[in-house]
Amino acid sequence: MERWWRVVTAYRVLALVFVVAIAATGVPPYEHPAVGAAVLIGLTVWTVVISVMCLRRGSPPLAVLVADLVIAAAAIALTPAAVAHHDVVSGAATLPGPWVAAAVLSVAVARGSLAGVVAALVVFAVDVIERGGLAQNTIYGGVLLLLAGGLAGYVVSLSRRAEAATAASARLEAATHERERLARDIHDSVLQVLALVARRGAALGGEAAELGRLAAEQEGALRTLVSTPLPVVDDHGEIDLRALIEPLAGDRVTVSCPATPVPLARSAAETVAAAARAALDNVARHAGASAQAWVLVEDDGDAVGVSIRDDGAGMDSDRLQAARSEGRLGVEQSIVARMRTVGGTAVVESTPGVGTEVELRVPR
Amino acid sequence: MCPADAPTQAEPALRVLVVDDHPIWRDGVARDLEAAGLTVCGTAGDVAQAVRVATATRPDVVLLDLHLPDGSGVDVARALAALEPTPRVLVLSASGERQDVLDAMTAGATGYLVKSASSAELVDAVRRVAVGDAVFTPGLAGLVLGEYRRLATAGPAQATPQLTERETEVLRLVAKGLTYPQIAERLVLSVRTVQNHVQNTLTKLQLHNKAQLVRFAMEQGLSE
Repeated sequence: MERWWRVVTAYRVLALVFVVAIAATGVPPYEHPAVGAAVLIGLTVWTVVISVMCLRRGSPPLAVLVADLVIAAAAIALTPAAVAHHDVVSGAATLPGPWVAAAVLSVAVARGSLAGVVAALVVFAVDVIERGGLAQNTIYGGVLLLLAGGLAGYVVSLSRRAEAATAASARLEAATHERERLARDIHDSVLQVLALVARRGAALGGEAAELGRLAAEQEGALRTLVSTPLPVVDDHGEIDLRALIEPLAGDRVTVSCPATPVPLARSAAETVAAAARAALDNVARHAGASAQAWVLVEDDGDAVGVSIRDDGAGMDSDRLQAARSEGRLGVEQSIVARMRTVGGTAVVESTPGVGTEVELRVPR
Repeated sequence: MCPADAPTQAEPALRVLVVDDHPIWRDGVARDLEAAGLTVCGTAGDVAQAVRVATATRPDVVLLDLHLPDGSGVDVARALAALEPTPRVLVLSASGERQDVLDAMTAGATGYLVKSASSAELVDAVRRVAVGDAVFTPGLAGLVLGEYRRLATAGPAQATPQLTERETEVLRLVAKGLTYPQIAERLVLSVRTVQNHVQNTLTKLQLHNKAQLVRFAMEQGLSE
């Protein structure tokens, strides 16, 4: 934002130089040169003070902005004291001239376009009161001030948004680079060693086998971590479903995905992932301690499918029916209801002794 | 699912080349293979060495890590595909970087295992790859399904390989973690037929890849 304050300050200084230069030519002559000189000296002092403040600290506090505006208004109001009455009425330049726009611009840059317009209206009103009516020059000046205040505020807010977006994408890029670096390093060392410990441990048996099992667990978790894409919502409000499903992999859960992204509207993706998680929770709770589960993500173009299969205890259809007729909303129902909210479907099939299969499907 | 018979006196032991940049891992795997009665005819730590040793020793199976210091195992798989007789390639990867795995498979590899596989699984996989079977993990089946989908949406229709309904069905079951005998039982097929279907899904991708390479080479040649 500092560069905006440099722009405003440059304008303020140039405007002052212009005003002083015009006054020095003595056209039109001041009726009371002492008053005019005093006002211009005052403006110069204030210009130095506020310029240094803006260049050092950027946006000045509200009190300084108000003071700036009051000084501009006062300088305009003092014009009749220095300039001949007929000149004032016929629309001669005010004492501060175009310098007052600096005060309006400051407000607009610091507080946005609405505040800028209000500041312009204040300056305009003071000018009208000072002249005791509307002169053509006053109207031109007022319109220009309004435009300056409104546009400057708008442009600054645009650039502020662009800056925020750039910063966010820079952060994301840095995070992605860091992940890639980590992925390479982890691949190269930690995963290798863990896999080796798992293998040797299994071969040695006994306590070593337990160590090996732990190493294998961590290896799986790490591999999932480094190979899972970042869950980033893109410009179309879509998210790569793999980023939400991949982390479900674990000791007893294998996740299979395509190599390319599976973009899905964010709410649909989150719902599908929640349903898949619920299905896996059910496996952990009811399928038995040794049950394994497999999750498959498929992209059919006009729809996306996620299936969750386990090789656990399963249940017969009578039990499913019984649960339904008793009004117990089991996991099955909660999954079905959840999928329905995003226009999707869930089909649960279970065979005792073979396992359970849940097929989730959501249209694009 | 149907491991080759243990080597007999009349049949020489399978000759395996182990390619991996980590000496500890390489030696550990070599020890496991030898203990199971296979012959490790060589080891290599980078792409250049792998191609050199493979050309010199003509192994039956190359056990290939995808992460190598001077390039990717995908390069090795491509170079090996040009050898005559062509060694079978079993990819053994730690990170499971999906695109690399897929590239290695379409370049000619016929098996894929993650490094967390046990010694027994590894030896079994080497034997199956050696007799021409395709060794799939559920993860690889998911990748292959996705690749057919991608080709169908990306490429011109006439040049795109397509899965038959049966192949899709079989591949989906592999991706859902069913073993070949389980799939055979469910679909009322022989295990051999299931194996053939899986293999076909890979062969079609490899042929497509080869055709793409030839077309690319011709276009380059014509435009010059």
